[in-house]
Amino acid sequence: MTPTAIATSAELSDFLRENERVHVQGNGSKTALHSANGAALADLKALSGVLEYEPSEYTITIGAGTPVSHVSAALAEKGQYLPFDPLLADRATIGGTVAANLSGSRRFRYGGIRDFILGARVVDGLGRAFRVGGKVVKNAAGFDLSKFLVGSLGQYAIMTELTFKVFPDAPRFRSLRLDYPTLPDLLAAISFINQSVFELDALDFAPAAKGWSLMARLAGSSATLPPRIERFSQTLRRESAPSDIVELDETATLWDPLAELTGGTVVKVVLPPRQIPEFDRSLGETRRRYSIGGNLAWLATADLAALHTSLRQMGLPGLCLLGAVESAPIGAPLENELAARVKSVLDPLAKLV
Amino acid sequence: MNHPFLQALETIYPPDRLLTRDVELLPYESDGLTAFQSKPGAVVLPIDEAEIIATVRLCHEHTVPFLARGSGTSLSGGSLPIPDGLVIALNRLNRIKRIDPQQRIAVVEPGVINLHITEAAQPYNLYYAPDPSSQSICTIGGNIAFNSGGAHCLKYGMTSNHVLGMKVVLADGAVTQFGSESIEGVGIGPDLIGLFVGSEGLFGIALEITLRLMPQPELYRTVLAAYNDLGAAGDAVSLVVASGLLPGAIEIMDRLAIKAAEASVKAGYPDAEALLIVELEGEALQVEAEFAQLQDLIQTSGAFEMRVARSEEERARIWKGRKGAFSAVGRLSPDFIVQDGVVPRGRLGEALMAIDKLKTKYGLDVANVFHAGDGNLHPLILYDGREAGALERAEALAGEILALCVSLGGSITGEHGIGMEKRDYLPTMFSEEEIDIMQALRRAIDPNEIANRGKMFPGGDAPALKQQGLHPLERQGVISRE
Repeated sequence: MTPTAIATSAELSDFLRENERVHVQGNGSKTALHSANGAALADLKALSGVLEYEPSEYTITIGAGTPVSHVSAALAEKGQYLPFDPLLADRATIGGTVAANLSGSRRFRYGGIRDFILGARVVDGLGRAFRVGGKVVKNAAGFDLSKFLVGSLGQYAIMTELTFKVFPDAPRFRSLRLDYPTLPDLLAAISFINQSVFELDALDFAPAAKGWSLMARLAGSSATLPPRIERFSQTLRRESAPSDIVELDETATLWDPLAELTGGTVVKVVLPPRQIPEFDRSLGETRRRYSIGGNLAWLATADLAALHTSLRQMGLPGLCLLGAVESAPIGAPLENELAARVKSVLDPLAKLV
Repeated sequence: MNHPFLQALETIYPPDRLLTRDVELLPYESDGLTAFQSKPGAVVLPIDEAEIIATVRLCHEHTVPFLARGSGTSLSGGSLPIPDGLVIALNRLNRIKRIDPQQRIAVVEPGVINLHITEAAQPYNLYYAPDPSSQSICTIGGNIAFNSGGAHCLKYGMTSNHVLGMKVVLADGAVTQFGSESIEGVGIGPDLIGLFVGSEGLFGIALEITLRLMPQPELYRTVLAAYNDLGAAGDAVSLVVASGLLPGAIEIMDRLAIKAAEASVKAGYPDAEALLIVELEGEALQVEAEFAQLQDLIQTSGAFEMRVARSEEERARIWKGRKGAFSAVGRLSPDFIVQDGVVPRGRLGEALMAIDKLKTKYGLDVANVFHAGDGNLHPLILYDGREAGALERAEALAGEILALCVSLGGSITGEHGIGMEKRDYLPTMFSEEEIDIMQALRRAIDPNEIANRGKMFPGGDAPALKQQGLHPLERQGVISRE
């Protein structure tokens, strides 16, 4: 179906009133989320632009259709960043990033989208336009529906405008790769790091040609980074006995967890670290990268049905992002009583799909 | 309270955990907002989640309003009982079920005291980050209901940002759970934690909570700076923020608050119009470098005195005065109201000047203690409840401060919640339609509107009577207001 370009919140309200089933997209970058069989398609790319930005307030308000790259560039000019580190930063819109709840590896340091969203303007399934949350960094008034919308996949209300808390970014970064012979060796190293004083900017890992590689990143000033990285390296060498430690070039794709996940359906899996050994055994040759200290896995699978079954058995939810699929959520079911109550208020006619 | 309902309660609770006599109900009649009190019909003391669930279902069936209560430290009247309703006191559900240092999580019951989690996590070099001033007594269940904050929210957020998973009983008795033991929390599907936390007890009761623990910072560096005027202290905050530093806490106290703190805990603060506290935390090498930069900034900010905490004792002394400032105000005035408005950080100076004018207009004193880093003001309005019309004037002044915060682009509450106290001001922040939608949401979860009835939304019954003086626990210095 040809998408209808939406330029204002009022147009979106009308569109929702006029159509029986509505699916929304930004840039359509998460291909697996847009198999909206027969629903009228709304394109929100035109709801774009930085609407308010006060660097001294640590807040930014942007149109939901704004490309993530524009937001990041505007923030970078003032030395700030989105600490949740939006995924697919080269192609996604900010609204799509929030609706799908896709944070990148740097989310490890300060938190995910839910920790930085402050408020939103939305249009619900009845076409009602309203505000949720606030615009200041701290606000406890009313129900916090802005956090609820994180991960809501466009099924409760459509965000047209978003306000985030932002932080000053570090001027410099350095990354190390620590190699371990086995997964348990690597997990023991993470366990040590988790109770140590080191404050890492990111912590990912993946199987390597031989054994496993842990990737760690430190952020800070050019004066303090060299001694900090030295100390981290020495401590980990002493405490976790890696087979090798190598400094990595800070290339553009080094901290893109999806960069090497080509071929197959790309899936996000929310994972308690203690389930990693069991989960990893179930994956066979599936390409994978574990992120945020092993609390999240990104996979590229050739056998989605098998993955669905094993996730369900382990009680883990997954979300397909890239690829052609019938249903994006897989694994443990998402149905929830509280979510159903919210749906009955915001989208009682079940228009939003 | 009607007889069939009480009889049904008797099938759940033995007599020593079902309180109905006036003398037993007395301690539950008010909370941290001492200007209000009201009498519940009964209090029950469940010891496990099955009893809570059975109680909520019974309330739903009999349409009896209930309040889930922890330690009753709410500053917005959020834990004020519903007249003739049921109080479900959760203090006996105080088990820390599990500390998992590998995953950096704690699994707890709702009646666990905030500080006890940090104490249990300490052996693993971990701590629970949100630190409301009442943390030695307030419970996690209450923190969840009101999304409690504290002095250290700027960097790591409020309660909501530290909850990973929950099991809850909704107000109509349905039991549901969401989230996980991953730091991604819910991660896929709508963030139900974000919705439930801060819902002021209107959705139901948290039965079991999975919390994120943080690694103890290697080093804290704390500086106290004294200024000859409040504006200069506010400007210093802007300097710090503009520098790219990200302190764990940025706090300001004005002259009256300093005086109160001195009278109370003898923190040894300098004699000043305003004090600024800035604290950095993290890896030692990074913090030392940032602290040098911070000291340079404060040198240029017009501070006439700067003190650096050289030991953990000195740091504790700086914070003791700040954290005790509220109850200390009780020494200066028989009664006071604490406000909790938020303004954009850049408009703090404007807000403080406006509050100064309001003081004169109403002929009342206002002490200011606030989380300057996130623009969260805590004006303390001093009055003498024995004086005719004084409470009314104090409330009118408080209302003007709230309106001021909204007009400056902020919020009527940063961390205390709407509760009973500010429910009539909700329409200053949200339109009629927005409030209607929130009400509809509440009714979809609680069709009988029994969970903490009378809070958050404007109108409704006014159960409150007026009272003077500090909360009994406050008088003993057990709790304090932030």
